[in-house]
Amino acid sequence: MDTRLFSYLNWGLLACMLALYLVGIGNLYSASGTRLEEGMTFASYYQRQLVWGLIGLTGMLLAMYFDYRRLRNLAWPFFILTLILLLLVPLVGKTVYGAKRWLPLGFMSLQPSELAKLAVLILAARLLARSGNPLGWKEFGIVLAVGLAPAALIITQPDLGTTLLVLLILAGMILFHGIRGYVFKTCLLAVPCVGAFMWFVGMHDYQRQRVLTFLNPGDDPRGTGYHILQSRIAIGSGEIWGKGYGEGTQSQLRFLPERHSDFAVAVFGEEWGFVGCVALVTLFCLFLLSIFSTAVQAKDRFGSMLVVGVFFYFFWQIVINMGMVIGLMPVVGIPLPFISYGGSAMLVNFLLLGIVLNVSMRRFMFKS
Amino acid sequence: MIQPEPSRQQGVTLPDSKREGLRAWLKIQVESESYQPPRSGVILLQVLVGLFFFIFVVRFWYLQVHRGEEFTLQAQRNHQREERIFAPRGRILDATGKVLADNRTAYGLSLVREDCHDVPATLAQISAWSGIALDRIQDKYRLDRVKMKAFEPLQLITDINFDLVARIESEVYAWPGLSIVVRTKRHYPEKDLFAHVLGYVAEANEKELSNDDALALGDLVGKQGLEFKLEKALRGHKGLYEVDVDAHSRILGKHLHTRPRGGQEIHLALDRDLQKAAWEALDGEAGCVVVMEADTGRLRALVTAPAYDNNLFAAGISQKDWNLLRNNKRFPLQNRVIQSIYPPGSVWKLVMAALFLENGVSPKATVFCGGQVKLGNQIFRCWRRGGHGHMDMEASLIHSCDVYYYIMAERLGIDKIEDFARACGFGKTTGIDLPHERSGLVPSREWKKRRFKTPWVRGDTYNTSIGQGYTLVTPVQMAVYVSALLNGGYLLKPQLLDDAAREERGRIPAQERTLLFLVEAMRKTASVGTAKVVGRKDADMGGKTGTAQVVKLRMTAGERRLTTAEVEYAQRDHAWIATWGIKNSKRYVVVVMVEHGGGGSSVAGPVAKKVYAHLFGPEPGDSKVLAGAVRHQTAVR
Repeated sequence: MDTRLFSYLNWGLLACMLALYLVGIGNLYSASGTRLEEGMTFASYYQRQLVWGLIGLTGMLLAMYFDYRRLRNLAWPFFILTLILLLLVPLVGKTVYGAKRWLPLGFMSLQPSELAKLAVLILAARLLARSGNPLGWKEFGIVLAVGLAPAALIITQPDLGTTLLVLLILAGMILFHGIRGYVFKTCLLAVPCVGAFMWFVGMHDYQRQRVLTFLNPGDDPRGTGYHILQSRIAIGSGEIWGKGYGEGTQSQLRFLPERHSDFAVAVFGEEWGFVGCVALVTLFCLFLLSIFSTAVQAKDRFGSMLVVGVFFYFFWQIVINMGMVIGLMPVVGIPLPFISYGGSAMLVNFLLLGIVLNVSMRRFMFKS
Repeated sequence: MIQPEPSRQQGVTLPDSKREGLRAWLKIQVESESYQPPRSGVILLQVLVGLFFFIFVVRFWYLQVHRGEEFTLQAQRNHQREERIFAPRGRILDATGKVLADNRTAYGLSLVREDCHDVPATLAQISAWSGIALDRIQDKYRLDRVKMKAFEPLQLITDINFDLVARIESEVYAWPGLSIVVRTKRHYPEKDLFAHVLGYVAEANEKELSNDDALALGDLVGKQGLEFKLEKALRGHKGLYEVDVDAHSRILGKHLHTRPRGGQEIHLALDRDLQKAAWEALDGEAGCVVVMEADTGRLRALVTAPAYDNNLFAAGISQKDWNLLRNNKRFPLQNRVIQSIYPPGSVWKLVMAALFLENGVSPKATVFCGGQVKLGNQIFRCWRRGGHGHMDMEASLIHSCDVYYYIMAERLGIDKIEDFARACGFGKTTGIDLPHERSGLVPSREWKKRRFKTPWVRGDTYNTSIGQGYTLVTPVQMAVYVSALLNGGYLLKPQLLDDAAREERGRIPAQERTLLFLVEAMRKTASVGTAKVVGRKDADMGGKTGTAQVVKLRMTAGERRLTTAEVEYAQRDHAWIATWGIKNSKRYVVVVMVEHGGGGSSVAGPVAKKVYAHLFGPEPGDSKVLAGAVRHQTAVR
């Protein structure tokens, strides 16, 4: 590999990423703590997250090593493989908490819906890179089908969060690429209809309940509303300066549910206060903007579209998760990148950033 | 879970023949045109990041700064709970230190809803343990659950016996949320004897809870008697623990915030043994006895019978017991000393005589009693059918001649009688520290007009003069009046508490010699007159009897007076006696009233005599007592 490539690396992105990773580990350490009658005990989440992060960093280096343009050739095979795996899930999948999402691989479980995000992202980048012209009905239809096929399989698992994420990433990429005015307007009209269809046909009772509870959490303070109320109390009680690291009563006394995973940022908000939260939001913005800069600087449309896909991959997760925690969005099981505990998500995050760094490194290369 | 694709490793392991084909397929496609990112897309991404920043920072501001304090309070409330420490209620003792009310340990069952997985099953289990009907437990749960937060213990049953506690204790771990709580229960060792004086405590009701912030659901408050009147002093102040808990209600730490302060111990002026003696003297009759110190107003005994066991109420009275008490024809719930109003009968002559003296009637003036007086076509009789002959004032008191009072009262008229009776403390409460005291009735022209729409007639004055007719008094009013005759005319507040100071509430508008005259007349009545029964040699005694008619016509067609036993219980006369006794410069007033007992001297008198026997010791020369003493000595020897 050409060592000159490193001089073109997006160092800002790397810095943001590492900063987020460390904030995540630190926060998870505090969120793992449980105050007992005497002293504290710590669950091992932060250690495992640390290890997964190191694995992820290795994966990231691998993802930077080859020329990203080779991914274009792999887009279809990868996509088809993913579809096959998704089809296998209902047949041989493992049921956990009433949802069939995992394929047992003996030593570990594979969640094909995680692969689907990547597959859709890469294939959509390839399809959108064919032309710079805004999408007409035909092209739009093809790209949409690429997203809807896996989405249809994922939602039956059921996994609303991932389904939404796949479709939202696709929508972001399409909007970035450009779409003809009449197609866009038609879509705008179709959204309420699809929404209504989802509400009455596609959603489970518990999901409908979640949306209703989001609109009025006081209705159900012991059930779904409990998450929302407790996380608002946690964040709000941080006030301006926070309660101090490791001092959050909401999290350490276990009033806050899911405090390692989906509601991890509430722990952060409680302990670091408004100042910390603004810093975190700023960090996320810098992170997103450095991905964005790579997308703009990329020398070919495929690379650019790939990076835009990654941008939306992170953007939607950040918006949906933090929005959920601070009561701007209904409760959907989407983790916050780098902050929420989750090994495979960590690995995917680093792999995707590896692709972004890959694109940024090779932005001055014309020919391979 | 995402493994690097095998093909990414550039096919190092692939055989050579296939290499070329794969190479071609893996060849990097280079886009021909030079790439410029779409302008609209670039703007879109920038706008999205900007919006994200703006909206989220505003939202964090709203939650953490604008509403921060509110959420901080909520977070605190989440993990800090208050646990009340019960303060023991003050004991109540008699004048000699005997316990009349104290506290016993009681075990109850309480439920923390938040920790309970299956409320219906838990309630059913409680019912199975305790034997209390399930629907009663369910009712209590339904009523009380709205008043308690989910994590607060809700007390479902209050008093379980010790054997049952032991059994429940071994099984209660299987019922999350359920726990045995130790509380105190009020205990009244003397039961019926002091029931009306002490009253009782019971769980605070809705109204009491809303009127008093210091009360919490399940707290006991005084409902009747002194428990009610002295609630503030007896209750004390609860202590407070601040308890740190986690989301599973696990207790992490407890800090004493406020130490509990027990209620005040109350010493009564009442004497338990005297009370018992008076109770026994009544011997099951419905009636009451008041013993009062004439100079201080302190009450030494205050007995009303029949009574009830106030422990029943302290433990939460059952509907059945309550109905039994309420529907009892002898009204055991009524405190006769202060709540029952009776015609005073001849005892009233003590008031009338004072009035006559103060209005210029000479004690020497006589009236001829021929057994009856005619007023128009009405006949007013003296209790003695044959008449008393010539009566002066003293003789009229000693022999309780009615005719004397008819004639004298008619001269003065009802208005003066009314004013004087009121000045003597009748027609208003005495101020005793017990709830629901009644004021009785002093009739007047206006009152009759209002009440019956007919004018006052002379016959009414006649009746009033001998304590019949409309006049109604409580036994305690009579005790206060007789005390005033002895103490120089002061109407004292009857005091229940040992350390209460003498409190004058008025003065009889009479001169010293009037009072002395009445005291002397009572003394003679007790030695040779109708109150002879209370007389004793070793003490200075005085008295006045009264037999208050309940039904006017007591004559049969044959003009023969019926004996008490021949009349239906509810129509029998009330027997009164108002007495005083002085020994060793201690001056006591004893008023006895036996409801439907018959004659004052024959029924109420012996009761008073027994009370004095306890106050002053057995009368010397009482053969029965002597015999007892001899027997006792023999036994000792």
